[in-house]
Amino acid sequence: MNLFLNFFMKYFVPTSEAATNVGFFEAIKPPIDISTNGHLIDSLFMLTTYLILFFFFFVCLGIFGFSYLYSKKRHPKPFYDHGTSRKQLALVAGIGALVFIMVDMQITTISNRDFINVFLNYPKETDPKILRVEVLGQQWAWNFRYAGVDGIFNTEDDVVTLNDLRVPVNTKIIFQITSKDVIHSLYFPNARLKVDAMPGRISRMWFELTKTGLYDIACAEMCGTFHYRMQSKLTVYPQAEYDAWLSEMQTRTKHVTELDNADLYWGWQWSQSAPKTLSKN
Amino acid sequence: MAFFEQEIHDAPTTFLSKYVFSFDHKVIAKQFLWYGIAFLGIGGMMALLIRWTLAFPGEAFPILGPLLFPGNNGVVPADTYAMLFTLHGTIMIFYAITPILIGAFGNFCIPLMIGARDMVFPTLNMLSFWLAVLSALLLLASLFTPLGGAAGGWTSYPTLSTLIGSPGIGQTLWCLALFVLGVSSTMGAVNYIATIITLRAPGMGYFDMPLTVWGLWLTAILNAIFLPVLGAGLLLLTFDRVFGTTFFLAGAAATSGSGDPVLFQHVFWIFGHPEVYILILPAWGIVSDLLSFFSRKPAFGAKATALAMTSVTILSTLVYGHHMYSTQMSPLLTQSFMMLTMTISIPSAVFFANWLGTLWKGSLRFQTPMLFSLGVVFVFGLGGLTGLYLATVSTDLYLHDTYFVVGHFHYTMAASVLLGGFAGTYFWFPKMYGRMMNERLGKIHFWISMVGLNGIFMGMMVIGYAGMHRRIYNPFVYEFLQNLIPLNKFITFSALTMGLGQLFFVYNFIHSMYKGPIATQNPWEVGTLDWTIPSPAPHYNFKEIPVVRCGPHELGNPNLVGKDFQYQTEELVKA
Repeated sequence: MNLFLNFFMKYFVPTSEAATNVGFFEAIKPPIDISTNGHLIDSLFMLTTYLILFFFFFVCLGIFGFSYLYSKKRHPKPFYDHGTSRKQLALVAGIGALVFIMVDMQITTISNRDFINVFLNYPKETDPKILRVEVLGQQWAWNFRYAGVDGIFNTEDDVVTLNDLRVPVNTKIIFQITSKDVIHSLYFPNARLKVDAMPGRISRMWFELTKTGLYDIACAEMCGTFHYRMQSKLTVYPQAEYDAWLSEMQTRTKHVTELDNADLYWGWQWSQSAPKTLSKN
Repeated sequence: MAFFEQEIHDAPTTFLSKYVFSFDHKVIAKQFLWYGIAFLGIGGMMALLIRWTLAFPGEAFPILGPLLFPGNNGVVPADTYAMLFTLHGTIMIFYAITPILIGAFGNFCIPLMIGARDMVFPTLNMLSFWLAVLSALLLLASLFTPLGGAAGGWTSYPTLSTLIGSPGIGQTLWCLALFVLGVSSTMGAVNYIATIITLRAPGMGYFDMPLTVWGLWLTAILNAIFLPVLGAGLLLLTFDRVFGTTFFLAGAAATSGSGDPVLFQHVFWIFGHPEVYILILPAWGIVSDLLSFFSRKPAFGAKATALAMTSVTILSTLVYGHHMYSTQMSPLLTQSFMMLTMTISIPSAVFFANWLGTLWKGSLRFQTPMLFSLGVVFVFGLGGLTGLYLATVSTDLYLHDTYFVVGHFHYTMAASVLLGGFAGTYFWFPKMYGRMMNERLGKIHFWISMVGLNGIFMGMMVIGYAGMHRRIYNPFVYEFLQNLIPLNKFITFSALTMGLGQLFFVYNFIHSMYKGPIATQNPWEVGTLDWTIPSPAPHYNFKEIPVVRCGPHELGNPNLVGKDFQYQTEELVKA
């Protein structure tokens, strides 16, 4: 199968040089997962896939099997039956219930658990080891703001970057996100997360990254002509390198940055309220 | 059951009253069909331009490109690209599928299948079509405004769709066009509901109606309830754009008071989610009937199918929030919407079981309408099941706004509805034009469409899972999407194949209209009321209003003599 698809991709579809040596199944893999929780989403995706394939198999069995068995030639006398007997109704209702129990309840339970216990379970902000970042979306760039030496946002010593997010590895990072103009969506393909940046609202997100390297950040919500260019880079540093970078940036904020640069003034006081959830743990 | 009997007026004689400003539901149905097919062509061309751009960024679109974009060497410019996908969505949903499935089949099938002489409000019916024409003119006019047409996506989220993101008059015209179209569709919907309630032939209870009529009826009910909601949202958006109100403005842009852009999303999706079912319900109805007709046996559990469609209709109004997980609604809402969305799979499983039950032990005839119906079962199976990923909050965090979503909703809304529409067209063509469509061309059309659309939409889901997000002009500026170039090309070639395959349909349709073999009164040998009258259906359909004595799916009864089906006007033969 793999061989056949590779052959197909290679000779039937004209390719550019960049992609010729990547196999089909390699190419369609989601981007490498660099977060502590991305595997929850990937595994739920796979589970859903197996469940779906199970039921779709029976749909196909019905369509193709019955088409073969009961074609006019093979089965000239149809069975006169309205499908209203008690047994048949029970069978149909049973199939409905089976789908609900086997698929819906399963994935709803897992998803609920992950959503409440992980994705909405924001780390305690009192912990000094946590990195907090404010994000401002604009047409067509992402601005990032670090609290600076004093640990307070919206002061003159904040470190502000454009399209350039650098974070330490193995550290929990909390984002507060908003937008200046239209709705954007902060999208980390490698962490399997996205959240909308909406004018007039602050949205939140948190994750912890496990692999160093250079990754893409995108805007996932249509935001105008150059939506596709709203691309930022995510650099994940080992702690030491991150510290070095941050202290360099902090010095630069004090001595090099022109304080009359209007692009730097957009922050807000870090907002404390966290969204309410159904169950607290 | 009919509340009253409609009078028979003289047949119109002038060209204008016969073909243009006609009160006749059959003529209006054909007008909607042509209108829809024309826009299907336009929307399809836009899709090809979009696909070309994604597979070959920076390369000129062959042949048409230099004509359309002479200033840009034939390459689709980035701002035009945004306009293209906005109008592709708008046109396909509101100007192609709605007129074909609801306008054409609704108008044509409802009176014929329930034994009425016309719609209950013929003038409203005519007005509905001409308002749709006015709306189309507004939409097309928006393309020729200085800053071009609407470019904020078919969802037109503020604040992108307010003056901040789209200052041109094109977006305003877009809002007005959809508002007018909403009025037109609401008129149609009211008409369908009233017709079905008041004009069913004597003896026809609700469960004696063919499932096609059930689907169209439920669609009409959703339309009548939810199109006004869209109208209200669009009107507020127009106020924001024209009169300086701030319903949907927030942040720096809200100079006087502050509204909320997310409010529009709520309003939009309260309409938008039922809209999905508005489009698919007629196709479900048609398929449920056709599967029974071409299996030569009664529809399996027809009452259960009708009730399942009804419960989907009700549930569809309660689940819209799953489009908005990424806006960080209250988690309470998020979880509730997830649970409610999941329950839709129960009625869906019921009518899937019933469809397969209809095929079971039948005597299947694989004529073109049957092939298309089986196609719907296949693609809707895929489309419906893949919805589970998107209803689930945590997988949706990753998949939201990626091509996975695009693939999923094209499977349900484009593939299923299109195949259902084609099934209906091949099936009722004889009753519309009195001639048969060519079977061989129809089968070629089916197989090309089937292979093409599965290539396109399956490919889209795959690249979506690989992380490619929606509505981007050039995906390959991102490093993590580099590997997807070949697959994007494959999707584009599938789309071109499918586009070319539709030429078989166009040729078949037009050729058969004039040169096809003359159709008999009942070429498919089925018993619903529309086949008890000559083909094409005569002026005022029924000279005598028929009296219904049995259900619509009485096929394959072993005690019948001479034929294997019963007309609904005949007394039920005991099996």
